[in-house]
Amino acid sequence: MDQTLSGFGTVFVFLVLGIVFVAGGYLTARMLRPSRPNPEKNSTYECGEPAVGSAWVKFNIRFYVVALIFIIFDVEVVFLYPWATVFKPLGPFALVEVLIFAGILALGLIYAWVKGDLDWVRPTPNIPKMPEMPNRRIGKANG
Amino acid sequence: MFEMPSGAEIQSIISILKGGAGFFVPEIYLSALFMVLIILDLVTGRKNARFLAAVTIAGLVGSLYYIFKQQAMPDTEFFFGMYALDRFGIFFKYFFVASGILAVLLTVIDDQLKKHESGMGEYYALLVAMVVGMMMMASSTDLLMMFLAMELVSLSAYAMTGYLKRDPRSSEAALKYLVYGAVSSGMLLYGFSLLYGMTAQTNLTRIAMVLAAHGYDPLVMIMAVLLIMAGLGYKMGAVPFHFWSPDVYEGAPTPVTAYLSVGSKAAGFAMLMRFFFVAVPHGMDMYVSPLHIDWLMILMLVSAASMIYGNVVAIWQKNVKRLLAYSSIAHAGYLLLGIITMDQLGTQSVLVYLASYLLMNYGAFYVVILIANRTGSENLDDYRGLGKKMPLAGAALTVFLISLVGLPPTFGFIGKLMIFSALLSKGSLFMWLALIGILTSVISLYYYMLIPLNMYLRESERPEEGVVETGMGAKLVTATLMILTLYFGLFFQPIANYAKYSSVLFGAFLN
Amino acid sequence: MLSLIVFLPIIAGLIILAVPSSQKQIIRIVSLLAALGQGVLAVLIWRQYDPTMAGIVAASGGSPFGSFQMIEKIPWISLDLGSFGPLNIEYFLGVDGISITMVLLTALISAIGVLSSWTIQKQVKGYFILYNLLATAMMGCFVALDFFLFYVFWELMLLPMYFLIGIWGGPNREYAAIKFFLYTLFGSVFMLLVMIGLYFSVIDPLTGHHTFSLVAMADQANYIKGAILGPDSVTWRYAAFIVLFVGFAIKVPMFPFHTWLPDAHVEAPTPISVILAGVLLKLGTYGMMRINFPLFPEVFQAGMYVIGVFGAINIIYGAFCALAQQDLKKMVAYSSISHMGYVLLGLAAANSEGMLGALYQMFNHGTITAMLFLLVGVIYDRAHSRQIDKFGGLASYMPVYTGFVTVAWFASLGLPGLSGFISEAFVFVGAFREEVTRPIAIVSVLGIVFGAAYLLWSLQRMFLGKRKPDALYDLEVDAHGHEHIHFHDWKGKLDLDARELTMLIPLGIIVIALGIYPMPVMGLLTTSINKLVQVLAPVAMSAVH
Repeated sequence: MDQTLSGFGTVFVFLVLGIVFVAGGYLTARMLRPSRPNPEKNSTYECGEPAVGSAWVKFNIRFYVVALIFIIFDVEVVFLYPWATVFKPLGPFALVEVLIFAGILALGLIYAWVKGDLDWVRPTPNIPKMPEMPNRRIGKANG
Repeated sequence: MFEMPSGAEIQSIISILKGGAGFFVPEIYLSALFMVLIILDLVTGRKNARFLAAVTIAGLVGSLYYIFKQQAMPDTEFFFGMYALDRFGIFFKYFFVASGILAVLLTVIDDQLKKHESGMGEYYALLVAMVVGMMMMASSTDLLMMFLAMELVSLSAYAMTGYLKRDPRSSEAALKYLVYGAVSSGMLLYGFSLLYGMTAQTNLTRIAMVLAAHGYDPLVMIMAVLLIMAGLGYKMGAVPFHFWSPDVYEGAPTPVTAYLSVGSKAAGFAMLMRFFFVAVPHGMDMYVSPLHIDWLMILMLVSAASMIYGNVVAIWQKNVKRLLAYSSIAHAGYLLLGIITMDQLGTQSVLVYLASYLLMNYGAFYVVILIANRTGSENLDDYRGLGKKMPLAGAALTVFLISLVGLPPTFGFIGKLMIFSALLSKGSLFMWLALIGILTSVISLYYYMLIPLNMYLRESERPEEGVVETGMGAKLVTATLMILTLYFGLFFQPIANYAKYSSVLFGAFLN
Repeated sequence: MLSLIVFLPIIAGLIILAVPSSQKQIIRIVSLLAALGQGVLAVLIWRQYDPTMAGIVAASGGSPFGSFQMIEKIPWISLDLGSFGPLNIEYFLGVDGISITMVLLTALISAIGVLSSWTIQKQVKGYFILYNLLATAMMGCFVALDFFLFYVFWELMLLPMYFLIGIWGGPNREYAAIKFFLYTLFGSVFMLLVMIGLYFSVIDPLTGHHTFSLVAMADQANYIKGAILGPDSVTWRYAAFIVLFVGFAIKVPMFPFHTWLPDAHVEAPTPISVILAGVLLKLGTYGMMRINFPLFPEVFQAGMYVIGVFGAINIIYGAFCALAQQDLKKMVAYSSISHMGYVLLGLAAANSEGMLGALYQMFNHGTITAMLFLLVGVIYDRAHSRQIDKFGGLASYMPVYTGFVTVAWFASLGLPGLSGFISEAFVFVGAFREEVTRPIAIVSVLGIVFGAAYLLWSLQRMFLGKRKPDALYDLEVDAHGHEHIHFHDWKGKLDLDARELTMLIPLGIIVIALGIYPMPVMGLLTTSINKLVQVLAPVAMSAVH
């Protein structure tokens, strides 16, 4: 119990230090900086884009697909680095294991590819049709 | 801070993992099946649904062999205490494979999914992934592993729920399911972290040891238990964590509804039993704790609320899928009764009840799909006169519903009998729960009988249609399920004995 | 033998399943053969039965099965329940004086029900499958000696009955069917709990394990101290007795649980009314005699008075309600409630005369009410109406019919020389003999007066007096000046036809014969009844014989 408590103590000190650090920065800045507000400055910072319009803008859904695929490979790298550091003592078993791991990820990529999720411009526009089962959904929604 | 482990250390870790893999064969096998299905989907053409279904069934049946081989192995904990191999887990492995196979059988006949435009490849792969996840839920003995297993099940389930992409109801259901799921996963994780904070352990057995050795703050404990129960209750569909289930059950493709209502519910129960029996087995000290409540008391309330709410609200349902959703909430309540007794008889009764629920619920949904294929509707009113048009399906559905009520001579009666036996074996302690249980089952009779009422007692608006053919295969499956439901209602000895054999959890402190 | 008599109808049902539904006549004949087979078996059982053996409980030091006869005992299910030892469920059949009476009645009424079902035209196949299922379940209930088995048969009756009323019933059948189902299920789910509680409280002395055997349960020595229904657990024993009693009382039906009965009877088709009144109601009182009272004798002793009061209420309330009915079938239904009150009163007396009268009344009520409902069915078939005030002067057109009606009506009101008189007389003798029930008996005698009133009044309005040719039938005068009537939409014989006579004559003979010489039935049950009285009252009570 004592050991774990000290472990939590470390976390606590870390938290306190973090708060002090950030708050200190803000405080120092506030004391030092000149204060000349204008509307441009007071608006929300949006990567240089003017922050106008609804927040419910539709993004192209393919952004998400690409982002997801990116994350998969991101995570793969996280696993591969520690593996690389201990590769030598492990020998061929580790190689096979990582090949399986990479193979599964590759399968995922192939899957996305074949299903056409990597094509930015779709060859044939897919016009959504209404489902042809109107009767099926008459059921009451309330419980 | 980080020290590189020496080569020898790593070698020993690897050898432990390799050794553990020997006990992990069914899961590995099914993971491979998952990938094979994806590859097959990629290499075969568009119209491959039947082929994929056949491969899935063959693959799942094949996995039974590996599970069977595990029966000869001794009970053990492996992967550094992350995972256990025991009779309890094996029972659920069989259970989940069976529920996967039945889900495929349901999928094959469903017209709605048959017309699905972008193929069924992912569907079967996700179905298999869910089987793996549910197996892991039943066998995990470590908080982290439990969470991972549960997420695997949840993620597959979200995708399957929304599988009818162009159907707004299906998408709505998936979204609701996802949002509720995310919240309850978060709660579960928070509960786990509290428990970890109290014990500095993630292995269930060691948590129990630390709790027993050092005691605990009952307030924090009740917090942790409540949060964990919220996460598990979501999977089980018990009140008050049930809000997702009617909408999701109604919106999801019917085979998925059946799969969720049996498979993922059972997985929730398996995990609940393992967690509470192993990690916090302090059920009976409610009068010691200053709040006078503990998880057992909470479970009792959850159980009573589920039985009452599920059965009462079901009365007003006009949609059969929704009706079955509420009934499944009620069944979660009955199942909890068996857990509350905290003994082997209770565990055995839960296993028997789950087995009966597997047969009768899949059976009911199977017929619901057959009827929906014909009428394009799951509305109660459209069931009028179907008894004459679909004699076998109508009779079978009646049997399944009677079994869901719990009347003899059906398997459902045996489930109820076992549950109430377990309750009454404790004397008058749980009498109030038993009374709620039987009174609500009288209520359940009313709404279940609404379906035969419409099928047989009312005339169809289109009486000119003759007998509807459902196809040989569908007839065979319906008849088999019906006969099994009746057969096990009279000769339940093998299943009940196997449940008894399986009711021993690895590391559990049951008497 | 008992297995055969129980499962013969279900075998017939399976055969019917294979017959194409267009072959209506074959389906009917198969059912009739099964019912006749049951009848033959019942007679064989009756011939073999030794009326000197009592049954009820295991004879001390004697046969482990007690003095039950024609025992069939096969292990059915044996489960390991861990700390509770093995769960043993047995396929355990046997008869004693109480059940053999009911077996005879059931076989008789089942056969008559099949004949009466001949006119069913709608979905014949489904009808007879359900009918046969019902016949099996009823017979099974009367011969089962294992509580679990009894419960299975008991619940098995509900579903066929629900459909038989619900599909083949009258205009308001949906309501009547679900009401019947819900009422009886409400009663029986509590039975499930009591059954489990008893299981954990009783040890079979033969095996040393818990048991569902009713024979073992009827012996108070087999109860475990400290168990939930053990001898020292007074509260729970009272609770168990009450819920069991309510469960059976719903079936009887006893006031205030009777409201399903008029609805069910009015909506049910004639054969189902016959079965319902003839057999199903008896299951309630049979259950009391077999299970409720012997298993909790001390509670029964305490509750005798209350049961008697309810019996009296049934008698008088039923009679009053019958008096007010315009619908003939409803009147007969309420008369059933009234007559089942005599059974309750007889049981409450708890002496040999009372119990004997009660059991005999169960048998007689079965035959008489079957006749009444058949007769109501006859007139309803012809006129499509049962409104008493729409008929008048029927005696001159349908003399044979009127003859049967008179026999049945008079038997029902307890005219000496007919079977109803003897059982009612025994019930009253029994009730008068006990201090407790004497005042109740005195009040209940009023029931006979009212019974006579509604029966005679309806007889007079329908069969005597002025003819009322109106919407129901036309009056024609032929060349010889004789008047004839004919009902609309009725092509058959005006008076009773051959099929109807086949059903009514045996019943009529039984009603008259047993009124003159009751020993064929009474002789069967006296030993068992005396034993039952002994079991219920350990303090010695004198017996009739």
